[in-house]
Amino acid sequence: MNPDKDINEEKLSEQLQRLLISIEASGRAVLPKSNDVLLKSIVDAAARIFGAAAASILLVNEEEEALEFKVSTGEADHDLVGTKFPYDRGIAGYVFMTGQPIATSNVREDKRFNQDFAKSTGYVPNSILATPLISSDDRIIGVMEVLDKIDATSFDLHDMELMGMFAQQAAMAIDMSQQIDSIEQALIRGLKRLAKEDKTQDTSDLKSTLDHALNGANRSSDLLELADLFNDISALGEAERKACIQVLTTFAEYRKSTSAPRRFR
Amino acid sequence: MPEETLRPAWSQHFTPDAIQELLSQGPFAKITPEWAWGDSTGKGIRVAVVDSGVEYDHPALEDCVRGGVVVEYDAKAKDNYRIKPDDKPLDVSGHGTACAGIIHSLAPEAEIYSVRVLGRNMGGRAIQFAAGLDWAIENNMQIVNLSLSTSLEEFFGLFHDLTDQAYFKNMNLISAVNNIPEPSYPSLYSSVISVAAHEGHDPFTYYYNPNPPVEFGAPGIDVEVAWNKKQYLVCTGNSFAAPHITGITALIRAKHPELTPFQIKTVLLACATNTKRQGR
Repeated sequence: MNPDKDINEEKLSEQLQRLLISIEASGRAVLPKSNDVLLKSIVDAAARIFGAAAASILLVNEEEEALEFKVSTGEADHDLVGTKFPYDRGIAGYVFMTGQPIATSNVREDKRFNQDFAKSTGYVPNSILATPLISSDDRIIGVMEVLDKIDATSFDLHDMELMGMFAQQAAMAIDMSQQIDSIEQALIRGLKRLAKEDKTQDTSDLKSTLDHALNGANRSSDLLELADLFNDISALGEAERKACIQVLTTFAEYRKSTSAPRRFR
Repeated sequence: MPEETLRPAWSQHFTPDAIQELLSQGPFAKITPEWAWGDSTGKGIRVAVVDSGVEYDHPALEDCVRGGVVVEYDAKAKDNYRIKPDDKPLDVSGHGTACAGIIHSLAPEAEIYSVRVLGRNMGGRAIQFAAGLDWAIENNMQIVNLSLSTSLEEFFGLFHDLTDQAYFKNMNLISAVNNIPEPSYPSLYSSVISVAAHEGHDPFTYYYNPNPPVEFGAPGIDVEVAWNKKQYLVCTGNSFAAPHITGITALIRAKHPELTPFQIKTVLLACATNTKRQGR
C-alpha cells in the first residue's frame, strides 16, 4: 500500500467534508430540502405576490436545447410539468433568448405565445409577465412566468420591476440547489474513478455505508448507476476503500442533517 | 405600508408624482423642440441597433435597414467571437425589430443597421454584446441603441473603455436601464444616455431625472411595436423606452450635425417635457 496515497485521500475526504459543511451553512437558510419543493415554493410565492391566477417556472435543458416546465401552480397546474419546447418558441423562449423581461396583456393574440400548446393544456391566459432567471455568473438558467393578473387587465412596470428582484433571489436559490445536485453526482463519479484504480477486496461495509447514504435513491437510473459503482468498488484496495467509506460517511451525515431524502437525478 | 414604498426600480423617478419641474434659463431657454428637431426626419443618420437582429423586410421599417452583422460566440476564435456580414438581417426574437420600429417611427429617414448579438448560444452573451458595440464604433455609426445590458462585474472595464471610445468618436450611446436597480453596464456610465420607462404614450413626451444615474424617462408601457415574422405586438419594458430617445436623438443630429454628444444631452434636457423655459 502506498502511504502517500492514503494521506492524499484523507486530505480529499477532509476537503469534501469542509465543502459539504460550507454548502450546508450557506444553503440551508434559503434551500428547502429538494429542488422540487424549492421550485414549488417559489411559484406559490410569485402567484401570491403578483396577484396572479397561475405561475410557472421553466428551466433550461441544454442537451435538448429546450425549455422545460419544471413546476406550475394555479389553473394550468401539474399537467404542464415535464413539457418541453425549443428555445425560440413562445414568450418564455423570447425571454430566454434576449434575457429581457416582458409583460404583455393580449396573450390570446400574441403570436409568441405557443397557442397550440396552450390550448392543449386547456388554459389560455389573458396576461403574462415573464422574467429571465439569471444566475450570479450571468447564465440564463430559465424563465419564470406569472399568468393572469387577478385584479387588473395586465401586469404593469411596477410588477415587472418587483418580479425582477424576486427572480434574482429565486435564480440564486435554484442555481445553488442545482449545484448541490451536481456535487452529489460529482461525488459518485469521483468514487467510481477511485474504484477503478485498484483491484481486490470485499466491500460489504462500504456497500452498507453507501446504502445508508443514498437511501432516497430509488429511481431506476440511480440504481443502475449505483450497481455500476458497486461493481467497481468490489475491486478496491484497502486504502481506497477506507477513503471511500470516510467520504460516504461524511456524505451520509450531511444528508441526515438535511433530514428529508434527496434523490439523485 | 403604502404600496408605493415597495416600488424598487429606476422608473420610480418617472411616476406622475415623482417628476420634478426643471428650469431652463439664459441662452438655454432658447432651445426649443421646434429648434432642436422641427421638420427633421433623421435623414442620413446611421443608427445601430445592437440586439436580437432587425427584420429588414418588416413593413413597419419601410426599407430603412441598410445592412448589419451577426456576432457569434465562438470559444475557439480569437477573443471568443466571430463577426459575419448580414446584408439582409433577420431577427431571432422580435426584440430588435421592436426597437428599430420605434426609432423608424420617430426618425423615418434614419438608416438602421442590425447588429445581432443575441441568439441560442447564451454562453457568451456579454462578449457578443461588447463585440457588437465595438463593431458599431469601428464602422462609423452615429447612434447606437442598446436595449440590453450586462451586470457582470468583470465587464465593467471593457464596456467603460468602449463607451469612452464611442464618446470620443462623437457617437451617442442610448441604453435601456435594467429592470432591477442593480449596476448594469454600460447603461450607468455618465457618457451614455440612460433611459427608463414612464407611463405616457406620446412618443415625444419624455422627462429628465435630476437625480441620476437614470437620466431620461420615455414611453415604455403598453407600446405597440413591430415584431419579427411581420407581426405587431403590445409590449411593456424599459427596452422600448430607449428607442424613443434614440429616434429623437437621430432627429436632432440630422438637423444639427455640428453638435457633440454632450451638447446633444444638453439639448435633450432643454427640450424635456418637465423642463420649463424661463420667460414662458
